[in-house]
Amino acid sequence: MRSLLRQSLLLLGLACLPAAGQALYFHDKVSWQSRIAEADMIEVDLARSWGVEAIWIDARPAVDFDRDHVPGAILLNEDRWNELLPQFLQEQWSPEKKIVVYCSSESCNLAGDVARRLRDEAKLPNQIRVLKGGWEGWLKTRK
Amino acid sequence: MHLPTKVLLGAAFLCVSTVAQAELTWEKIELEQSPPPGAESAVFAFQYQNKGDKPIHISNVRTSCGCTTAALKKNDVAPGEKGEIVATLKIGDHSGLQQKTVTVDTDDTAHPQTILTLKATVTQFLELQPALVYWQANEDPKPKTIVAKAGKGVTMKSLEVTSSAPEFTTKVEPGSTAGEFKINVTPRDTAHQLNANLSIKPDSAAGAGTKVFTATARVMPLVMPPPTPAPTTAPKA
Repeated sequence: MRSLLRQSLLLLGLACLPAAGQALYFHDKVSWQSRIAEADMIEVDLARSWGVEAIWIDARPAVDFDRDHVPGAILLNEDRWNELLPQFLQEQWSPEKKIVVYCSSESCNLAGDVARRLRDEAKLPNQIRVLKGGWEGWLKTRK
Repeated sequence: MHLPTKVLLGAAFLCVSTVAQAELTWEKIELEQSPPPGAESAVFAFQYQNKGDKPIHISNVRTSCGCTTAALKKNDVAPGEKGEIVATLKIGDHSGLQQKTVTVDTDDTAHPQTILTLKATVTQFLELQPALVYWQANEDPKPKTIVAKAGKGVTMKSLEVTSSAPEFTTKVEPGSTAGEFKINVTPRDTAHQLNANLSIKPDSAAGAGTKVFTATARVMPLVMPPPTPAPTTAPKA
Protein backbone atom coordinates (compact mmCIF):
# COMPACT_ATOMS: atom_id res chain seq x y z
CA MET A 1 0.00 0.00 0.00
CA ARG A 2 2.79 2.34 1.02
CA SER A 3 4.69 1.42 -2.12
CA LEU A 4 1.68 2.23 -4.29
CA LEU A 5 1.28 5.61 -2.62
CA ARG A 6 4.97 6.41 -3.07
CA GLN A 7 4.77 5.35 -6.73
CA SER A 8 1.73 7.57 -7.31
CA LEU A 9 3.41 10.55 -5.69
CA LEU A 10 6.54 10.04 -7.77
CA LEU A 11 4.49 9.87 -10.98
CA LEU A 12 2.58 12.97 -9.96
CA GLY A 13 5.85 14.77 -9.25
CA LEU A 14 7.24 13.79 -12.65
CA ALA A 15 4.06 14.97 -14.36
CA CYS A 16 4.42 18.34 -12.66
CA LEU A 17 7.92 18.93 -14.08
CA PRO A 18 6.88 19.61 -17.71
CA ALA A 19 3.88 21.58 -16.44
CA ALA A 20 6.17 23.81 -14.39
CA GLY A 21 8.48 24.21 -17.39
CA GLN A 22 5.58 25.18 -19.61
CA ALA A 23 4.29 27.65 -17.05
CA LEU A 24 7.72 29.29 -16.88
CA TYR A 25 8.10 29.39 -20.66
CA PHE A 26 4.63 30.73 -21.36
CA HIS A 27 4.26 33.00 -18.32
CA ASP A 28 4.36 36.19 -20.41
CA LYS A 29 2.70 34.74 -23.47
CA VAL A 30 -0.71 33.70 -22.25
CA SER A 31 -3.60 35.63 -23.72
CA TRP A 32 -5.61 35.92 -20.52
CA GLN A 33 -3.08 38.22 -18.91
CA SER A 34 -4.11 41.83 -19.35
CA ARG A 35 -1.33 44.19 -20.39
CA ILE A 36 -3.15 47.06 -18.70
CA ALA A 37 -2.39 47.89 -15.08
CA GLU A 38 -5.38 47.67 -12.76
CA ALA A 39 -4.89 51.33 -11.76
CA ASP A 40 -5.36 52.40 -15.38
CA MET A 41 -8.77 50.73 -15.65
CA ILE A 42 -12.20 51.87 -14.61
CA GLU A 43 -15.49 50.12 -13.90
CA VAL A 44 -18.42 50.95 -16.17
CA ASP A 45 -20.56 52.39 -13.37
CA LEU A 46 -17.86 54.76 -12.18
CA ALA A 47 -17.10 55.89 -15.74
CA ARG A 48 -20.82 56.55 -16.30
CA SER A 49 -20.98 58.61 -13.13
CA TRP A 50 -18.43 61.03 -14.63
CA GLY A 51 -21.17 62.19 -17.02
CA VAL A 52 -20.21 65.19 -19.14
CA GLU A 53 -16.87 65.41 -17.37
CA ALA A 54 -15.62 62.50 -19.49
CA ILE A 55 -14.78 62.07 -23.15
CA TRP A 56 -15.46 58.54 -24.39
CA ILE A 57 -13.10 57.17 -27.02
CA ASP A 58 -13.96 54.12 -29.10
CA ALA A 59 -10.72 52.34 -30.07
CA ARG A 60 -12.41 49.60 -32.12
CA PRO A 61 -12.27 49.41 -35.92
CA ALA A 62 -14.52 51.92 -37.72
CA VAL A 63 -16.90 49.18 -38.87
CA ASP A 64 -17.71 48.27 -35.25
CA PHE A 65 -18.04 51.91 -34.25
CA ASP A 66 -20.45 52.53 -37.14
CA ARG A 67 -22.60 49.59 -36.05
CA ASP A 68 -23.05 50.95 -32.53
CA HIS A 69 -21.09 52.77 -29.86
CA VAL A 70 -21.40 54.47 -26.49
CA PRO A 71 -23.53 57.60 -27.01
CA GLY A 72 -21.30 60.59 -27.59
CA ALA A 73 -18.17 58.48 -28.04
CA ILE A 74 -15.71 59.43 -30.74
CA LEU A 75 -13.76 57.10 -33.00
CA LEU A 76 -10.02 57.07 -32.38
CA ASN A 77 -8.22 53.89 -33.33
CA GLU A 78 -4.69 53.05 -34.39
CA ASP A 79 -5.70 52.08 -37.93
CA ARG A 80 -6.05 55.78 -38.81
CA TRP A 81 -4.25 57.33 -35.86
CA ASN A 82 -2.46 60.06 -37.81
CA GLU A 83 -5.76 61.27 -39.25
CA LEU A 84 -8.08 60.78 -36.26
CA LEU A 85 -5.82 62.07 -33.47
CA PRO A 86 -5.55 65.66 -34.82
CA GLN A 87 -9.34 65.70 -35.34
CA PHE A 88 -9.88 64.66 -31.75
CA LEU A 89 -7.36 67.13 -30.37
CA GLN A 90 -8.87 70.02 -32.32
CA GLU A 91 -12.56 69.30 -31.93
CA GLN A 92 -13.23 67.37 -28.73
CA TRP A 93 -10.22 67.47 -26.44
CA SER A 94 -10.24 69.62 -23.35
CA PRO A 95 -7.55 69.60 -20.63
CA GLU A 96 -10.10 69.48 -17.82
CA LYS A 97 -11.96 66.38 -18.97
CA LYS A 98 -11.34 62.77 -18.10
CA ILE A 99 -10.89 60.27 -20.91
CA VAL A 100 -12.41 56.79 -21.03
CA VAL A 101 -11.13 54.47 -23.77
CA TYR A 102 -12.81 51.22 -24.67
CA CYS A 103 -12.52 48.41 -27.20
CA SER A 104 -14.64 45.32 -27.75
CA SER A 105 -14.07 43.25 -24.62
CA GLU A 106 -11.91 42.59 -21.59
CA SER A 107 -9.34 40.68 -23.64
CA CYS A 108 -8.75 43.18 -26.44
CA ASN A 109 -5.62 45.30 -26.36
CA LEU A 110 -6.75 48.15 -28.60
CA ALA A 111 -8.01 50.42 -25.82
CA GLY A 112 -4.85 49.90 -23.80
CA ASP A 113 -2.71 50.79 -26.82
CA VAL A 114 -4.72 53.95 -27.56
CA ALA A 115 -4.59 54.99 -23.89
CA ARG A 116 -0.81 54.43 -23.84
CA ARG A 117 -0.30 56.56 -26.95
CA LEU A 118 -2.49 59.37 -25.61
CA ARG A 119 -0.47 59.35 -22.41
CA ASP A 120 3.06 58.67 -23.69
CA GLU A 121 3.11 60.11 -27.20
CA ALA A 122 0.49 62.85 -27.21
CA LYS A 123 1.44 63.63 -23.58
CA LEU A 124 -2.11 64.55 -22.68
CA PRO A 125 -2.40 65.77 -19.10
CA ASN A 126 -5.85 64.24 -18.64
CA GLN A 127 -6.81 61.35 -16.42
CA ILE A 128 -7.01 58.48 -18.94
CA ARG A 129 -8.68 55.18 -18.07
CA VAL A 130 -9.48 51.99 -19.97
CA LEU A 131 -13.04 50.70 -19.54
CA LYS A 132 -13.17 47.32 -17.79
CA GLY A 133 -15.00 44.81 -19.96
CA GLY A 134 -14.98 47.20 -22.93
CA TRP A 135 -18.01 47.53 -25.18
CA GLU A 136 -19.34 44.15 -23.99
CA GLY A 137 -19.16 45.36 -20.40
CA TRP A 138 -20.94 48.58 -21.29
CA LEU A 139 -23.70 46.67 -23.09
CA LYS A 140 -24.33 44.54 -20.01
CA THR A 141 -25.04 47.62 -17.93
CA ARG A 142 -26.95 49.57 -20.58
CA LYS A 143 -30.34 50.56 -19.30
CA MET B 1 11.73 -4.75 -11.38
CA HIS B 2 12.80 -2.03 -8.91
CA LEU B 3 10.43 0.77 -8.08
CA PRO B 4 12.46 3.62 -9.72
CA THR B 5 12.67 1.60 -12.94
CA LYS B 6 8.91 1.09 -12.92
CA VAL B 7 8.37 4.80 -12.34
CA LEU B 8 10.72 5.79 -15.13
CA LEU B 9 9.10 3.34 -17.52
CA GLY B 10 5.67 4.67 -16.59
CA ALA B 11 6.78 8.27 -17.18
CA ALA B 12 8.41 7.34 -20.50
CA PHE B 13 5.17 5.62 -21.55
CA LEU B 14 3.18 8.73 -20.72
CA CYS B 15 5.56 10.92 -22.75
CA VAL B 16 5.59 8.61 -25.75
CA SER B 17 1.81 8.25 -25.79
CA THR B 18 1.44 12.08 -25.69
CA VAL B 19 3.84 12.58 -28.61
CA ALA B 20 2.14 9.89 -30.65
CA GLN B 21 -1.17 11.74 -30.41
CA ALA B 22 0.29 15.04 -31.66
CA GLU B 23 -0.29 14.59 -35.37
CA LEU B 24 -0.42 18.13 -36.75
CA THR B 25 2.85 19.61 -35.55
CA TRP B 26 3.93 23.21 -35.92
CA GLU B 27 7.47 24.36 -36.53
CA LYS B 28 6.76 27.40 -34.34
CA ILE B 29 3.55 28.59 -32.76
CA GLU B 30 4.92 32.06 -32.06
CA LEU B 31 6.65 34.32 -34.57
CA GLU B 32 8.13 37.73 -33.98
CA GLN B 33 9.49 40.41 -36.28
CA SER B 34 10.32 44.10 -36.50
CA PRO B 35 9.04 45.47 -39.82
CA PRO B 36 10.94 48.45 -41.25
CA PRO B 37 9.52 51.90 -40.39
CA GLY B 38 6.75 52.86 -42.78
CA ALA B 39 5.94 49.24 -43.75
CA GLU B 40 2.26 48.76 -44.55
CA SER B 41 2.05 45.16 -43.40
CA ALA B 42 3.98 42.32 -41.79
CA VAL B 43 3.66 38.73 -43.05
CA PHE B 44 4.11 35.67 -40.84
CA ALA B 45 4.22 32.09 -42.19
CA PHE B 46 3.40 29.35 -39.67
CA GLN B 47 4.71 26.01 -41.01
CA TYR B 48 3.01 22.74 -40.13
CA GLN B 49 3.29 19.05 -40.94
CA ASN B 50 0.96 16.14 -40.42
CA LYS B 51 3.22 13.67 -38.66
CA GLY B 52 0.43 11.22 -37.99
CA ASP B 53 -0.86 8.41 -40.14
CA LYS B 54 -4.35 9.81 -40.70
CA PRO B 55 -5.44 12.85 -42.74
CA ILE B 56 -6.33 15.97 -40.78
CA HIS B 57 -9.05 18.45 -41.65
CA ILE B 58 -8.51 22.09 -40.72
CA SER B 59 -12.06 23.25 -40.10
CA ASN B 60 -11.56 26.88 -39.14
CA VAL B 61 -8.89 29.56 -39.03
CA ARG B 62 -9.78 32.82 -37.32
CA THR B 63 -7.84 35.88 -36.25
CA SER B 64 -8.09 37.91 -33.06
CA CYS B 65 -8.76 41.20 -34.81
CA GLY B 66 -9.83 42.71 -38.10
CA CYS B 67 -6.30 44.04 -38.65
CA THR B 68 -5.00 40.52 -39.23
CA THR B 69 -5.90 38.12 -42.04
CA ALA B 70 -4.92 34.47 -42.27
CA ALA B 71 -4.72 32.46 -45.48
CA LEU B 72 -4.75 28.69 -45.81
CA LYS B 73 -4.18 27.02 -49.20
CA LYS B 74 -6.03 23.79 -48.40
CA ASN B 75 -8.04 22.45 -45.52
CA ASP B 76 -7.11 18.76 -45.78
CA VAL B 77 -3.62 17.67 -44.80
CA ALA B 78 -2.51 14.18 -45.83
CA PRO B 79 -0.15 12.15 -43.60
CA GLY B 80 3.38 13.50 -43.99
CA GLU B 81 2.19 16.58 -45.88
CA LYS B 82 3.62 19.99 -45.05
CA GLY B 83 1.90 23.34 -45.37
CA GLU B 84 1.64 26.82 -43.94
CA ILE B 85 -0.81 29.38 -42.69
CA VAL B 86 0.15 32.86 -43.78
CA ALA B 87 -1.00 35.62 -41.45
CA THR B 88 -0.79 39.24 -42.56
CA LEU B 89 -0.89 42.05 -40.04
CA LYS B 90 -2.04 45.36 -41.48
CA ILE B 91 0.13 47.91 -39.68
CA GLY B 92 -1.81 51.09 -40.46
CA ASP B 93 -0.73 53.75 -37.99
CA HIS B 94 -0.09 51.25 -35.22
CA SER B 95 2.97 51.69 -33.01
CA GLY B 96 4.90 49.62 -30.48
CA LEU B 97 4.40 45.93 -29.78
CA GLN B 98 1.50 44.42 -31.70
CA GLN B 99 0.48 40.97 -30.51
CA LYS B 100 -2.27 39.10 -32.34
CA THR B 101 -3.40 35.49 -32.47
CA VAL B 102 -4.64 33.08 -35.10
CA THR B 103 -6.80 30.22 -33.84
CA VAL B 104 -6.72 27.00 -35.86
CA ASP B 105 -9.41 24.35 -35.34
CA THR B 106 -8.87 20.81 -36.64
CA ASP B 107 -10.38 17.35 -36.29
CA ASP B 108 -7.15 16.17 -34.62
CA THR B 109 -8.65 14.78 -31.42
CA ALA B 110 -5.42 15.18 -29.46
CA HIS B 111 -5.05 18.87 -30.34
CA PRO B 112 -8.33 20.16 -31.74
CA GLN B 113 -7.27 23.77 -31.35
CA THR B 114 -3.93 25.56 -31.76
CA ILE B 115 -3.35 29.21 -31.03
CA LEU B 116 -0.64 30.82 -33.13
CA THR B 117 0.82 34.09 -31.88
CA LEU B 118 2.36 36.78 -34.02
CA LYS B 119 4.25 39.70 -32.61
CA ALA B 120 5.44 42.75 -34.47
CA THR B 121 7.41 45.60 -32.96
CA VAL B 122 6.32 48.55 -35.06
CA THR B 123 8.60 51.56 -35.24
CA GLN B 124 7.03 54.83 -36.25
CA PHE B 125 8.49 56.66 -39.20
CA LEU B 126 8.35 59.92 -37.30
CA GLU B 127 7.56 60.30 -33.63
CA LEU B 128 6.05 63.56 -32.41
CA GLN B 129 6.23 64.37 -28.73
CA PRO B 130 3.94 65.86 -27.76
CA ALA B 131 1.42 65.69 -30.58
CA LEU B 132 -0.35 68.70 -29.06
CA VAL B 133 0.80 72.07 -27.74
CA TYR B 134 -1.76 74.34 -26.14
CA TRP B 135 -2.06 77.57 -24.23
CA GLN B 136 -4.75 78.46 -21.75
CA ALA B 137 -6.67 81.66 -22.51
CA ASN B 138 -4.57 84.71 -21.66
CA GLU B 139 -1.51 82.59 -20.87
CA ASP B 140 1.87 84.13 -21.73
CA PRO B 141 2.25 83.36 -25.48
CA LYS B 142 5.73 81.88 -25.09
CA PRO B 143 6.90 79.34 -27.68
CA LYS B 144 6.29 75.66 -26.93
CA THR B 145 8.30 72.84 -28.44
CA ILE B 146 7.35 69.63 -30.23
CA VAL B 147 10.21 67.16 -30.61
CA ALA B 148 10.10 65.25 -33.91
CA LYS B 149 12.27 62.15 -33.95
CA ALA B 150 12.95 59.95 -36.96
CA GLY B 151 12.27 56.24 -36.39
CA LYS B 152 15.11 53.75 -36.00
CA GLY B 153 16.79 53.21 -39.36
CA VAL B 154 15.27 56.34 -40.94
CA THR B 155 17.63 59.01 -42.24
CA MET B 156 16.03 62.42 -42.07
CA LYS B 157 17.90 65.62 -42.83
CA SER B 158 15.16 68.23 -42.65
CA LEU B 159 11.51 68.85 -41.88
CA GLU B 160 9.04 71.26 -43.39
CA VAL B 161 6.32 72.50 -41.06
CA THR B 162 3.23 74.43 -42.14
CA SER B 163 0.54 75.81 -39.86
CA SER B 164 -3.08 75.83 -41.06
CA ALA B 165 -3.69 79.06 -39.12
CA PRO B 166 -1.49 82.13 -39.65
CA GLU B 167 -1.88 83.00 -35.97
CA PHE B 168 0.69 80.32 -35.13
CA THR B 169 4.28 80.62 -36.30
CA THR B 170 6.64 77.67 -36.40
CA LYS B 171 10.40 77.40 -36.44
CA VAL B 172 12.36 74.16 -36.93
CA GLU B 173 15.74 73.65 -35.24
CA PRO B 174 18.01 70.62 -35.18
CA GLY B 175 17.62 68.52 -32.03
CA SER B 176 20.23 67.03 -29.76
CA THR B 177 20.83 63.94 -31.91
CA ALA B 178 20.82 63.14 -35.63
CA GLY B 179 17.31 62.71 -36.95
CA GLU B 180 15.83 64.79 -34.15
CA PHE B 181 14.22 68.20 -34.67
CA LYS B 182 12.67 70.80 -32.41
CA ILE B 183 9.56 72.51 -33.72
CA ASN B 184 8.98 75.72 -31.80
CA VAL B 185 5.39 76.90 -32.01
CA THR B 186 4.28 80.40 -30.99
CA PRO B 187 0.76 81.85 -31.00
CA ARG B 188 0.32 85.48 -32.01
CA ASP B 189 -1.74 86.01 -28.85
CA THR B 190 -3.78 83.97 -26.40
CA ALA B 191 -6.72 86.31 -25.99
CA HIS B 192 -8.85 84.35 -28.45
CA GLN B 193 -9.53 80.67 -29.03
CA LEU B 194 -7.37 79.31 -31.85
CA ASN B 195 -6.91 75.92 -33.49
CA ALA B 196 -4.33 74.85 -36.02
CA ASN B 197 -3.05 71.74 -37.70
CA LEU B 198 0.71 71.68 -38.07
CA SER B 199 1.58 69.67 -41.17
CA ILE B 200 5.01 68.11 -40.85
CA LYS B 201 6.69 66.79 -43.98
CA PRO B 202 10.04 64.96 -43.85
CA ASP B 203 12.53 65.59 -46.67
CA SER B 204 12.16 63.41 -49.74
CA ALA B 205 15.38 61.45 -49.01
CA ALA B 206 13.81 60.02 -45.86
CA GLY B 207 11.58 57.79 -47.98
CA ALA B 208 8.22 58.73 -46.46
CA GLY B 209 6.85 59.47 -49.92
CA THR B 210 4.01 61.93 -49.75
CA LYS B 211 3.20 61.08 -46.15
CA VAL B 212 2.50 64.12 -44.00
CA PHE B 213 2.38 63.96 -40.21
CA THR B 214 0.17 66.22 -38.15
CA ALA B 215 0.50 67.88 -34.78
CA THR B 216 -2.03 70.22 -33.19
CA ALA B 217 -1.71 73.70 -31.69
CA ARG B 218 -4.52 75.30 -29.72
CA VAL B 219 -5.35 78.31 -27.62
CA MET B 220 -8.10 77.14 -25.31
CA PRO B 221 -11.35 79.08 -24.91
CA LEU B 222 -11.78 81.25 -21.89
CA VAL B 223 -13.68 79.30 -19.27
CA MET B 224 -15.94 81.55 -17.30
CA PRO B 225 -16.15 80.62 -13.62
CA PRO B 226 -19.65 79.80 -12.41
CA PRO B 227 -21.39 82.85 -11.00
CA THR B 228 -20.98 83.16 -7.28
CA PRO B 229 -24.14 83.90 -5.32
CA ALA B 230 -24.38 87.44 -3.98
CA PRO B 231 -23.36 87.63 -0.31
CA THR B 232 -26.31 87.81 1.96
CA THR B 233 -26.11 90.14 4.88
CA ALA B 234 -27.78 89.13 8.06
CA PRO B 235 -30.51 91.55 9.15
CA LYS B 236 -29.47 93.71 12.03
CA ALA B 237 -31.15 92.85 15.24
